[in-house]
Amino acid sequence: MFRSLVVASALAAIPFVVVPLSAASAAPGHAPLPFGQAVPASQAKRTVTITMKDSLYEPKSVTVKAGEVVRFVIVNKGELLHEFALGRPEDHVEHQKMMATMMDHGMITATAIDREKMKMDHGAGMHSHGPESGSVLVEPGKRAELTWKFAQTATLQFACTIPGHYELGMVGEFRFQ
Amino acid sequence: MSRLVSLAAAALSLALPLSAATMSAARAQSPDHGHAHLIWFVEAEQFELRHSAHGESFAWDVHAWIGTDDWKLLLKSEGALPTGGPLEEAEAQLVYSWRVSDFWDAYAGLRYDHRPAPERGFAAFGMSGMAPWFIEVDATAFVSHKGEISARVEAEYDLYITQNLVLQPLVEVNLSAQNVRERGIGAGISDVELGLRLRYEIEREFAPYVGVSWERKLFRTASYARDEGESSGELALVAGVRFRF
Amino acid sequence: MDTILNRRTALKLAAGAAGAAGIYAVYPGRRAFAAASEYNLAVEKGRITVDGISSRAKMMGGSVPAPTLRWREGEEVVIYATNRMDEPTSIHWHGLLLVGVMDGAPGFNGYVAIQPGETYTYRFRLRQSGTYWYHSHSAMQEQMGMYGAIVIAPKNGEKAAADRDYVVVLSDHTREDPRRVFANLKADPGYYNRGKRTLMDFFRDTKRDGLDATLKDRQDWAEMRMDPTDLADVTGYAFLVNGKGPEDNWTALFAPGERVRLRIVNASAMSFFDVRIPGLPMTIMAADGQDVQPVRVDEFRFGVGETYDVMVMPREDRAYTFFAEPIDRSGYARATLAPRAGMAGEIPALRPRTVLTMADMGMAHGGMDHGGMDHSSMGHGAPADAGKADHSTMDHSKMGHDKMDHSKMGHDKMDHSKMGHGGMQQGGMQHAMPASPSKSSTPPDRAVGWGDAGTRPGEKALAYADLRSARKNDDARAPTQEIEVRLNGIMERYMWNINGRPFGHDEAIRVKYGERVRIRYVNTTMMAHPMHLHGMFVELENGQGERMPRKHVTIVPPGQEVSVILTADEPGEWPFHCHLLYHMEAGMMTRFVVGPKEERKAEAK
Repeated sequence: MFRSLVVASALAAIPFVVVPLSAASAAPGHAPLPFGQAVPASQAKRTVTITMKDSLYEPKSVTVKAGEVVRFVIVNKGELLHEFALGRPEDHVEHQKMMATMMDHGMITATAIDREKMKMDHGAGMHSHGPESGSVLVEPGKRAELTWKFAQTATLQFACTIPGHYELGMVGEFRFQ
Repeated sequence: MSRLVSLAAAALSLALPLSAATMSAARAQSPDHGHAHLIWFVEAEQFELRHSAHGESFAWDVHAWIGTDDWKLLLKSEGALPTGGPLEEAEAQLVYSWRVSDFWDAYAGLRYDHRPAPERGFAAFGMSGMAPWFIEVDATAFVSHKGEISARVEAEYDLYITQNLVLQPLVEVNLSAQNVRERGIGAGISDVELGLRLRYEIEREFAPYVGVSWERKLFRTASYARDEGESSGELALVAGVRFRF
Repeated sequence: MDTILNRRTALKLAAGAAGAAGIYAVYPGRRAFAAASEYNLAVEKGRITVDGISSRAKMMGGSVPAPTLRWREGEEVVIYATNRMDEPTSIHWHGLLLVGVMDGAPGFNGYVAIQPGETYTYRFRLRQSGTYWYHSHSAMQEQMGMYGAIVIAPKNGEKAAADRDYVVVLSDHTREDPRRVFANLKADPGYYNRGKRTLMDFFRDTKRDGLDATLKDRQDWAEMRMDPTDLADVTGYAFLVNGKGPEDNWTALFAPGERVRLRIVNASAMSFFDVRIPGLPMTIMAADGQDVQPVRVDEFRFGVGETYDVMVMPREDRAYTFFAEPIDRSGYARATLAPRAGMAGEIPALRPRTVLTMADMGMAHGGMDHGGMDHSSMGHGAPADAGKADHSTMDHSKMGHDKMDHSKMGHDKMDHSKMGHGGMQQGGMQHAMPASPSKSSTPPDRAVGWGDAGTRPGEKALAYADLRSARKNDDARAPTQEIEVRLNGIMERYMWNINGRPFGHDEAIRVKYGERVRIRYVNTTMMAHPMHLHGMFVELENGQGERMPRKHVTIVPPGQEVSVILTADEPGEWPFHCHLLYHMEAGMMTRFVVGPKEERKAEAK
């Protein structure tokens, strides 16, 4: 019930976000991640707009409270495909490897998502990708949403893990109040 | 006296380009990019002691040149000076060469033979360059001031055994259109020289070598030599240094 | 660390601050209260010390490399260049868009060399941002140390957030007088080649490839009187990073996790490099000063005159080695990225020196469009048997054949009989194999073909095809004419030219102002030529559509064709040449004349 809500809202409101098929089948119970979990947009009391450019975010940091639910509206004003992924620095390191593989396999290009390939390639261990894991891909000129209930961790960042973008500085910080 | 003349010829061959270079002060002279660079070098292909059954001698084959991509002025000198004996051979050429194709130059000039006596002056016309397989070839036709026609063809190859050790086979053939009895030269192929030198390039400019050189007078030239009581062939061990500056 | 010269320092120095006099030669009193953005650069003879060995140098601003000029887009700069040598000199601003006479190439655009004792005043407004460089454009001076970097900050701020920003100037330095180098090349073009094919190589190749194949291969080269080991023309170089030798170990500091931007300039006279930082992928963010969409690579091939801006993010608390191998592998340039001064990373072994193939002679592939192919990540997997051309071991599914334009490959033109497959030659065959995820730690023991850097399987080398402009090309018009630029050489004589005519006897290339033209380079030689057009950027036709990268230097690999498109929007008489300095010196240069604006207007009426 809860899971299907997430999927439905993602599909309805965020047509350009990739929702792995596995999300529906391979995430029973949908355990919260150490830094929180995706929740329906209706639970959010606050909306934060994140603008993506090539290759940075505006704003560069967002202040949140532990337990708070924030609805993020992510707008890609750049000319490249970008990601908005929540995670600790070590999560981003892992995520970068996966993203590099996705690029090698042609599932994503510099500017777009190849949905066909995305669907086909789900054996490749792309589970940790999608709104339920705190990650959305936004194509140039498009917008997407992600609603997140925060759990406090020592360091929490939002980052784009498309090869090269993280290095160029496409990373922002969550500051816990 | 004759010895002095030939040494002077050899010295001249060194001095001429040097003075030209001193005047120009730099090796590759060019005020801005792309202008004709005037370049000079002195190169000794052979500068060696020869040891054979007939004794020892010092032999040289040295040339100096100055020029550009399109032309060169060359002064060549070669000869042999037996230990303790009179000068056996001494020859100098001054030629102007010009580029005729990617790999070939044509040249024309003068040759003067001081020894063997009697002296001769020649007009020289030739081609030099690189044949396929990296074979360096030099072919010259000569007309003496007495109207005698002769030719010389030389070919050599550098076989790199390692980056520094180089084996160089060489062949030289002399031909004559007529008998020149007074100089001991017979019509047809007059003589052949085969050489094999192994050099070690300490620097590209400085490479000591050892080798063998085999010379053989042929046909009528050989019989002239026998008539004079000379041998018609000689196998020599050689040791010398190839250099360039 | 980096000799930085920004406006404030310059002013301070001009006002008479003495401490930095050794770095920056200033002649106070001339313009003690200069307006903003005025600089003094003295050109003088001096000495540099590389790994403890001192040699003669010519320098600008008192150092090798010359001080980095840090400017801002939109500002006007004034540079007083004073010649304190006893020969004419010049300073050229490589990659900058400016009025012809400010370009600094003697004999072009009305610019006259700066005579001894004279001061020339350069004045221009900066119409661009990015990493560029400056160097002498007078014969035999640049290679003695007259080169330095220019960093122009974008007027709207940097797009990428770097925690550290370093200039890395690569160069090659020899103690030999450049005139002597040139004379040696003229007298014996193989003078510096210490990688010639030897009898020992013959035995080795015979053992590996068989006698017939080896003989055949030797025959092919011998008949052409060409040497497949000729990669670099000149050796004996020390390879420098910011003027420092490998032992000097120039070091850039970082804190783990920081973003470090390296602005890398190839200011060599003759050396192409393969540049990498083992263990640290680089994100290419700009090429020739122009922003590109980020590409993550493990290494890149670096042509003379090019610049690349890369971002790296060292995470570990250890030293990383910045390693640049010249393609003839005759040494290396090395620097260190380290969390603390005095550290040194592991120095990798030099990878194998490649041997050219018939494909590099243009013999194998008639009109093949290499521009769109990914040579870099060819991943020469089975090294020992590569020569046997055992295609069965190649993973065709990963080769990305779909990216190859077979129609352009001109297979019908391939003369297989001449290719000596036994002895060679996957160099021309293994294209477009994308980086496969399989990691092998065994480096290939042999490299075949000019494009083969010996990249490890699974690692990614930058290909020109990967460069994609960050912004769309301004001019979408189709070119109205194609200009063929044949790059010719006679190696045996060390003669090089464009379209058969050496500079001085050349015929200028003429285009109208505003015209859009295609320049098609045809390299008939067996050396790569980094072709540099002054005054304008060209767009490299590398298959990136409306995002062709903008370049001021274009590498044209041996035996290949590369095309670029130019909007001729800078009137003038621009130098157009190979940036290998001894090739330029030997005549590989011509004039590229863009007609005046008025002419165009008159025509429109």
